[in-house]
Amino acid sequence: MTTQQVNAYVSAMFDIASANDAVAVVEDEMFRLARAFESNEGLRSSLSDATLPIDRRQKIVEQLLGGKANNVTVQLASLLVGTGHIALLPQVADALVKRASSEKQLEVAEVRSAIELSDAQKARLAEALSKATGKKLNLKVVVDPNVIGGLVATVGDEVIDDTVRTRLDQVKSRF
Amino acid sequence: MNLSVILIAAEDPTQSHHWLFPEIGEIIYGGLASIVIFTALYKFGWPAAAKALAARTAKIQKELDDSAAARQQADADAVNIRKALGDVAGERTRLLADADAQAAAILSEGRARITAEVAELEARAATETQAARSRIGDELRAEIARLSAAATTDTVRAALDDRTQQELVDGFIAKVGASR
Repeated sequence: MTTQQVNAYVSAMFDIASANDAVAVVEDEMFRLARAFESNEGLRSSLSDATLPIDRRQKIVEQLLGGKANNVTVQLASLLVGTGHIALLPQVADALVKRASSEKQLEVAEVRSAIELSDAQKARLAEALSKATGKKLNLKVVVDPNVIGGLVATVGDEVIDDTVRTRLDQVKSRF
Repeated sequence: MNLSVILIAAEDPTQSHHWLFPEIGEIIYGGLASIVIFTALYKFGWPAAAKALAARTAKIQKELDDSAAARQQADADAVNIRKALGDVAGERTRLLADADAQAAAILSEGRARITAEVAELEARAATETQAARSRIGDELRAEIARLSAAATTDTVRAALDDRTQQELVDGFIAKVGASR
Protein backbone atom coordinates (compact mmCIF):
# COMPACT_ATOMS: atom_id res chain seq x y z
CA MET A 1 0.00 0.00 0.00
CA THR A 2 2.78 2.42 0.98
CA THR A 3 4.78 1.65 -2.16
CA GLN A 4 1.70 2.22 -4.29
CA GLN A 5 1.04 5.51 -2.53
CA VAL A 6 4.65 6.61 -2.95
CA ASN A 7 4.62 5.70 -6.64
CA ALA A 8 1.34 7.56 -7.13
CA TYR A 9 2.67 10.69 -5.45
CA VAL A 10 5.96 10.51 -7.38
CA SER A 11 4.18 10.08 -10.68
CA ALA A 12 1.87 12.99 -9.97
CA MET A 13 4.66 15.24 -8.68
CA PHE A 14 6.90 14.44 -11.60
CA ASP A 15 4.12 15.27 -14.06
CA ILE A 16 3.32 18.54 -12.25
CA ALA A 17 6.99 19.51 -12.07
CA SER A 18 7.45 18.61 -15.74
CA ALA A 19 4.42 20.65 -16.71
CA ASN A 20 5.99 23.60 -14.88
CA ASP A 21 9.40 22.84 -16.38
CA ALA A 22 10.84 22.63 -12.87
CA VAL A 23 11.77 19.00 -12.40
CA ALA A 24 15.39 19.62 -11.46
CA VAL A 25 14.55 22.36 -8.98
CA VAL A 26 11.59 20.57 -7.46
CA GLU A 27 13.33 17.22 -6.98
CA ASP A 28 16.31 18.97 -5.40
CA GLU A 29 14.16 21.03 -3.05
CA MET A 30 12.01 18.04 -2.16
CA PHE A 31 15.19 16.10 -1.44
CA ARG A 32 16.50 18.79 0.91
CA LEU A 33 13.14 19.20 2.54
CA ALA A 34 13.02 15.44 3.15
CA ARG A 35 16.45 15.48 4.78
CA ALA A 36 15.40 18.39 6.99
CA PHE A 37 12.23 16.50 7.85
CA GLU A 38 14.31 13.44 8.83
CA SER A 39 16.85 15.32 10.91
CA ASN A 40 14.58 17.87 12.60
CA GLU A 41 12.43 16.29 15.28
CA GLY A 42 10.47 19.49 15.87
CA LEU A 43 9.59 19.88 12.20
CA ARG A 44 8.67 16.21 11.94
CA SER A 45 6.39 16.28 14.96
CA SER A 46 4.76 19.58 13.94
CA LEU A 47 3.93 18.43 10.41
CA SER A 48 2.80 14.99 11.65
CA ASP A 49 0.75 16.28 14.57
CA ALA A 50 -2.81 15.22 13.81
CA THR A 51 -4.14 17.47 16.59
CA LEU A 52 -3.05 20.53 14.60
CA PRO A 53 -5.47 21.60 11.87
CA ILE A 54 -4.29 20.74 8.38
CA ASP A 55 -4.32 24.35 7.20
CA ARG A 56 -2.11 25.25 10.16
CA ARG A 57 0.38 22.58 9.20
CA GLN A 58 0.28 23.64 5.58
CA LYS A 59 0.97 27.18 6.78
CA ILE A 60 4.12 25.89 8.49
CA VAL A 61 5.30 24.42 5.18
CA GLU A 62 4.57 27.64 3.36
CA GLN A 63 6.38 29.70 5.99
CA LEU A 64 9.32 27.30 5.91
CA LEU A 65 9.71 27.24 2.13
CA GLY A 66 8.00 30.46 1.09
CA GLY A 67 10.33 32.72 -0.83
CA LYS A 68 13.12 30.13 -0.74
CA ALA A 69 11.63 27.32 -2.78
CA ASN A 70 9.82 26.93 -6.03
CA ASN A 71 6.08 27.38 -5.70
CA VAL A 72 5.51 23.89 -7.11
CA THR A 73 7.64 22.43 -4.33
CA VAL A 74 5.64 24.31 -1.73
CA GLN A 75 2.37 23.11 -3.20
CA LEU A 76 3.54 19.48 -3.42
CA ALA A 77 4.77 19.51 0.16
CA SER A 78 1.46 21.06 1.23
CA LEU A 79 -0.31 18.31 -0.68
CA LEU A 80 1.44 15.65 1.42
CA VAL A 81 0.51 17.49 4.60
CA GLY A 82 -3.08 17.95 3.43
CA THR A 83 -3.55 14.29 2.61
CA GLY A 84 -2.04 13.25 5.93
CA HIS A 85 0.87 11.50 4.24
CA ILE A 86 3.72 13.77 5.26
CA ALA A 87 5.42 10.77 6.86
CA LEU A 88 6.00 9.51 3.31
CA LEU A 89 8.00 12.63 2.43
CA PRO A 90 11.48 11.02 2.60
CA GLN A 91 10.43 8.06 0.47
CA VAL A 92 8.56 10.26 -1.98
CA ALA A 93 11.46 12.70 -2.30
CA ASP A 94 14.02 9.92 -2.80
CA ALA A 95 11.81 8.23 -5.40
CA LEU A 96 11.24 11.57 -7.14
CA VAL A 97 14.98 12.21 -7.28
CA LYS A 98 15.52 8.73 -8.68
CA ARG A 99 12.78 9.18 -11.25
CA ALA A 100 14.11 12.57 -12.34
CA SER A 101 17.66 11.20 -12.51
CA SER A 102 16.66 8.17 -14.54
CA GLU A 103 14.87 10.46 -16.98
CA LYS A 104 18.24 12.10 -17.61
CA GLN A 105 20.15 8.80 -17.58
CA LEU A 106 21.78 9.77 -14.28
CA GLU A 107 22.58 7.78 -11.20
CA VAL A 108 21.85 9.38 -7.82
CA ALA A 109 24.94 10.01 -5.71
CA GLU A 110 24.10 10.87 -2.13
CA VAL A 111 26.94 12.49 -0.28
CA ARG A 112 26.87 13.22 3.42
CA SER A 113 29.12 15.93 4.74
CA ALA A 114 29.66 17.56 8.11
CA ILE A 115 29.80 20.97 6.49
CA GLU A 116 28.07 22.71 3.63
CA LEU A 117 29.98 22.26 0.36
CA SER A 118 30.66 25.09 -2.00
CA ASP A 119 29.42 24.88 -5.57
CA ALA A 120 33.01 24.41 -6.71
CA GLN A 121 33.47 21.54 -4.29
CA LYS A 122 30.21 19.96 -5.45
CA ALA A 123 31.33 20.20 -9.06
CA ARG A 124 34.72 18.68 -8.33
CA LEU A 125 33.10 16.03 -6.18
CA ALA A 126 30.59 15.11 -8.89
CA GLU A 127 33.38 14.89 -11.41
CA ALA A 128 35.54 12.76 -9.12
CA LEU A 129 32.68 10.42 -8.28
CA SER A 130 31.72 10.09 -11.94
CA LYS A 131 35.30 9.27 -12.74
CA ALA A 132 35.50 6.76 -9.91
CA THR A 133 32.23 4.99 -10.66
CA GLY A 134 32.13 5.44 -14.40
CA LYS A 135 28.59 6.80 -14.18
CA LYS A 136 26.94 10.11 -14.87
CA LEU A 137 25.68 11.34 -11.55
CA ASN A 138 23.00 13.49 -10.01
CA LEU A 139 24.80 14.68 -6.87
CA LYS A 140 22.82 15.21 -3.73
CA VAL A 141 24.69 16.60 -0.75
CA VAL A 142 23.25 16.21 2.73
CA VAL A 143 24.73 18.12 5.65
CA ASP A 144 24.93 15.60 8.46
CA PRO A 145 26.73 16.62 11.69
CA ASN A 146 26.96 12.96 12.70
CA VAL A 147 29.61 12.52 10.04
CA ILE A 148 31.86 14.80 12.18
CA GLY A 149 34.29 15.34 9.33
CA GLY A 150 35.04 14.13 5.80
CA LEU A 151 32.52 12.68 3.37
CA VAL A 152 30.63 9.49 2.64
CA ALA A 153 29.24 8.96 -0.84
CA THR A 154 26.65 6.38 -1.82
CA VAL A 155 26.19 5.59 -5.48
CA GLY A 156 23.79 2.74 -5.96
CA ASP A 157 25.18 -0.10 -3.89
CA GLU A 158 28.65 1.39 -3.75
CA VAL A 159 29.71 3.31 -0.64
CA ILE A 160 32.86 5.40 -0.45
CA ASP A 161 33.39 6.28 3.19
CA ASP A 162 36.14 8.54 4.44
CA THR A 163 34.44 10.12 7.41
CA VAL A 164 35.85 10.89 10.82
CA ARG A 165 32.82 9.11 12.28
CA THR A 166 33.79 5.84 10.61
CA ARG A 167 37.41 6.19 11.68
CA LEU A 168 36.34 6.82 15.24
CA ASP A 169 34.05 3.78 15.08
CA GLN A 170 36.99 1.71 13.92
CA VAL A 171 39.10 2.99 16.81
CA LYS A 172 36.22 2.37 19.18
CA SER A 173 35.89 -1.22 18.02
CA ARG A 174 39.51 -1.81 19.00
CA PHE A 175 38.83 -0.93 22.66
CA MET B 1 -19.80 -92.22 151.57
CA ASN B 2 -20.36 -93.47 148.31
CA LEU B 3 -23.09 -92.44 145.92
CA SER B 4 -25.32 -95.54 146.38
CA VAL B 5 -25.36 -95.16 150.17
CA ILE B 6 -26.31 -91.54 149.77
CA LEU B 7 -29.06 -92.40 147.22
CA ILE B 8 -30.43 -95.19 149.46
CA ALA B 9 -30.22 -92.94 152.54
CA ALA B 10 -32.18 -90.25 150.70
CA GLU B 11 -34.91 -92.64 149.64
CA ASP B 12 -38.30 -91.62 150.92
CA PRO B 13 -40.43 -94.58 151.95
CA THR B 14 -43.59 -92.57 151.13
CA GLN B 15 -42.65 -92.21 147.60
CA SER B 16 -43.74 -94.92 145.07
CA HIS B 17 -40.41 -94.83 143.33
CA HIS B 18 -37.01 -93.30 143.61
CA TRP B 19 -36.81 -89.53 142.95
CA LEU B 20 -33.93 -90.08 140.55
CA PHE B 21 -34.45 -93.39 138.90
CA PRO B 22 -37.56 -93.95 136.64
CA GLU B 23 -39.92 -96.75 136.93
CA ILE B 24 -39.00 -99.95 135.14
CA GLY B 25 -41.96 -99.56 132.85
CA GLU B 26 -40.87 -96.10 131.92
CA ILE B 27 -37.45 -97.44 131.16
CA ILE B 28 -38.87 -100.19 129.01
CA TYR B 29 -41.30 -98.00 127.13
CA GLY B 30 -38.89 -95.23 126.95
CA GLY B 31 -36.25 -97.57 125.61
CA LEU B 32 -38.62 -99.04 123.08
CA ALA B 33 -39.75 -95.62 122.05
CA SER B 34 -36.14 -94.56 121.73
CA ILE B 35 -35.41 -97.64 119.61
CA VAL B 36 -38.40 -96.89 117.41
CA ILE B 37 -37.39 -93.27 117.08
CA PHE B 38 -33.75 -94.07 116.37
CA THR B 39 -34.77 -96.79 113.93
CA ALA B 40 -37.09 -94.37 112.16
CA LEU B 41 -34.39 -91.74 112.18
CA TYR B 42 -31.92 -94.26 110.82
CA LYS B 43 -34.32 -95.49 108.17
CA PHE B 44 -35.83 -92.21 107.06
CA GLY B 45 -33.57 -89.41 108.25
CA TRP B 46 -30.13 -90.89 107.63
CA PRO B 47 -30.48 -91.28 103.84
CA ALA B 48 -31.63 -87.68 103.52
CA ALA B 49 -28.84 -86.54 105.81
CA ALA B 50 -26.32 -88.70 103.93
CA LYS B 51 -27.65 -87.39 100.64
CA ALA B 52 -27.41 -83.81 101.91
CA LEU B 53 -23.90 -84.47 103.16
CA ALA B 54 -22.99 -86.06 99.83
CA ALA B 55 -24.52 -83.12 97.97
CA ARG B 56 -22.64 -80.71 100.18
CA THR B 57 -19.49 -82.72 99.74
CA ALA B 58 -20.04 -82.65 95.96
CA LYS B 59 -20.75 -78.96 96.10
CA ILE B 60 -17.64 -78.31 98.14
CA GLN B 61 -15.68 -80.55 95.83
CA LYS B 62 -17.09 -78.70 92.85
CA GLU B 63 -16.20 -75.41 94.42
CA LEU B 64 -12.74 -76.74 95.12
CA ASP B 65 -12.50 -77.95 91.52
CA ASP B 66 -13.78 -74.60 90.25
CA SER B 67 -11.32 -72.83 92.45
CA ALA B 68 -8.56 -75.06 91.14
CA ALA B 69 -9.69 -74.46 87.58
CA ALA B 70 -9.96 -70.72 88.26
CA ARG B 71 -6.52 -70.73 89.74
CA GLN B 72 -5.22 -72.70 86.81
CA GLN B 73 -6.90 -70.21 84.45
CA ALA B 74 -5.49 -67.36 86.49
CA ASP B 75 -2.05 -68.95 86.30
CA ALA B 76 -2.49 -69.37 82.52
CA ASP B 77 -3.68 -65.78 82.25
CA ALA B 78 -0.76 -64.66 84.34
CA VAL B 79 1.55 -66.58 82.04
CA ASN B 80 -0.14 -65.00 79.02
CA ILE B 81 0.05 -61.57 80.58
CA ARG B 82 3.69 -62.09 81.43
CA LYS B 83 4.26 -63.32 77.90
CA ALA B 84 2.32 -60.39 76.50
CA LEU B 85 4.31 -58.04 78.67
CA GLY B 86 7.42 -59.70 77.36
CA ASP B 87 6.14 -59.25 73.79
CA VAL B 88 5.32 -55.60 74.46
CA ALA B 89 8.79 -55.07 75.83
CA GLY B 90 10.25 -56.83 72.80
CA GLU B 91 8.08 -54.82 70.43
CA ARG B 92 9.03 -51.65 72.23
CA THR B 93 12.68 -52.57 71.95
CA ARG B 94 12.23 -53.44 68.28
CA LEU B 95 10.34 -50.21 67.58
CA LEU B 96 12.96 -48.20 69.40
CA ALA B 97 15.66 -49.97 67.44
CA ASP B 98 13.79 -49.31 64.18
CA ALA B 99 13.29 -45.68 65.15
CA ASP B 100 16.98 -45.37 66.01
CA ALA B 101 17.90 -46.96 62.68
CA GLN B 102 15.54 -44.70 60.75
CA ALA B 103 16.77 -41.64 62.63
CA ALA B 104 20.34 -42.63 61.88
CA ALA B 105 19.46 -43.18 58.21
CA ILE B 106 17.62 -39.85 57.96
CA LEU B 107 20.47 -38.10 59.72
CA SER B 108 22.99 -39.69 57.42
CA GLU B 109 20.90 -38.95 54.35
CA GLY B 110 20.30 -35.40 55.52
CA ARG B 111 23.99 -34.87 56.13
CA ALA B 112 24.80 -36.26 52.71
CA ARG B 113 22.12 -34.10 51.06
CA ILE B 114 23.18 -30.98 52.90
CA THR B 115 26.80 -31.67 52.05
CA ALA B 116 25.84 -32.09 48.38
CA GLU B 117 23.70 -28.94 48.45
CA VAL B 118 26.45 -26.97 50.12
CA ALA B 119 28.90 -28.23 47.52
CA GLU B 120 26.45 -27.34 44.74
CA LEU B 121 25.83 -23.89 46.23
CA GLU B 122 29.54 -23.31 46.58
CA ALA B 123 30.08 -24.38 42.97
CA ARG B 124 27.22 -22.20 41.78
CA ALA B 125 28.44 -19.28 43.85
CA ALA B 126 31.91 -19.75 42.41
CA THR B 127 30.49 -19.89 38.89
CA GLU B 128 28.27 -16.87 39.46
CA THR B 129 31.13 -14.98 41.05
CA GLN B 130 33.30 -15.81 38.09
CA ALA B 131 30.50 -14.84 35.68
CA ALA B 132 29.83 -11.63 37.60
CA ARG B 133 33.52 -10.84 37.62
CA SER B 134 33.70 -11.47 33.91
CA ARG B 135 30.49 -9.52 33.27
CA ILE B 136 31.62 -6.61 35.40
CA GLY B 137 34.95 -6.70 33.60
CA ASP B 138 33.18 -6.66 30.24
CA GLU B 139 30.84 -3.89 31.36
CA LEU B 140 33.76 -1.93 32.71
CA ARG B 141 35.68 -2.38 29.49
CA ALA B 142 32.60 -1.41 27.48
CA GLU B 143 32.03 1.63 29.67
CA ILE B 144 35.67 2.65 29.38
CA ALA B 145 35.46 2.14 25.63
CA ARG B 146 32.24 4.19 25.48
CA LEU B 147 33.69 6.97 27.60
CA SER B 148 36.93 6.87 25.67
CA ALA B 149 35.05 6.94 22.38
CA ALA B 150 32.87 9.80 23.59
CA ALA B 151 35.90 11.67 24.86
CA THR B 152 37.74 10.96 21.63
CA THR B 153 34.73 12.07 19.56
CA ASP B 154 34.40 15.27 21.55
CA THR B 155 38.13 15.92 21.31
CA VAL B 156 38.20 15.26 17.59
CA ARG B 157 35.06 17.31 16.98
CA ALA B 158 36.60 20.21 18.90
CA ALA B 159 39.82 19.85 16.95
CA LEU B 160 38.03 19.94 13.58
CA ASP B 161 38.06 23.60 12.68
CA ASP B 162 36.74 24.88 9.37
CA ARG B 163 40.09 24.68 7.70
CA THR B 164 40.52 21.04 8.70
CA GLN B 165 36.97 20.28 7.54
CA GLN B 166 37.75 21.81 4.16
CA GLU B 167 40.94 19.80 3.96
CA LEU B 168 39.05 16.62 4.70
CA VAL B 169 36.52 17.38 1.95
CA ASP B 170 39.20 18.29 -0.55
CA GLY B 171 41.21 15.25 0.48
CA PHE B 172 38.19 13.03 -0.15
CA ILE B 173 37.58 14.57 -3.58
CA ALA B 174 41.21 14.18 -4.51
CA LYS B 175 41.36 10.61 -3.28
CA VAL B 176 38.16 9.60 -5.10
CA GLY B 177 39.23 11.40 -8.23
CA ALA B 178 42.56 9.61 -8.17
CA SER B 179 41.08 6.22 -7.54
CA ARG B 180 40.63 5.45 -11.23
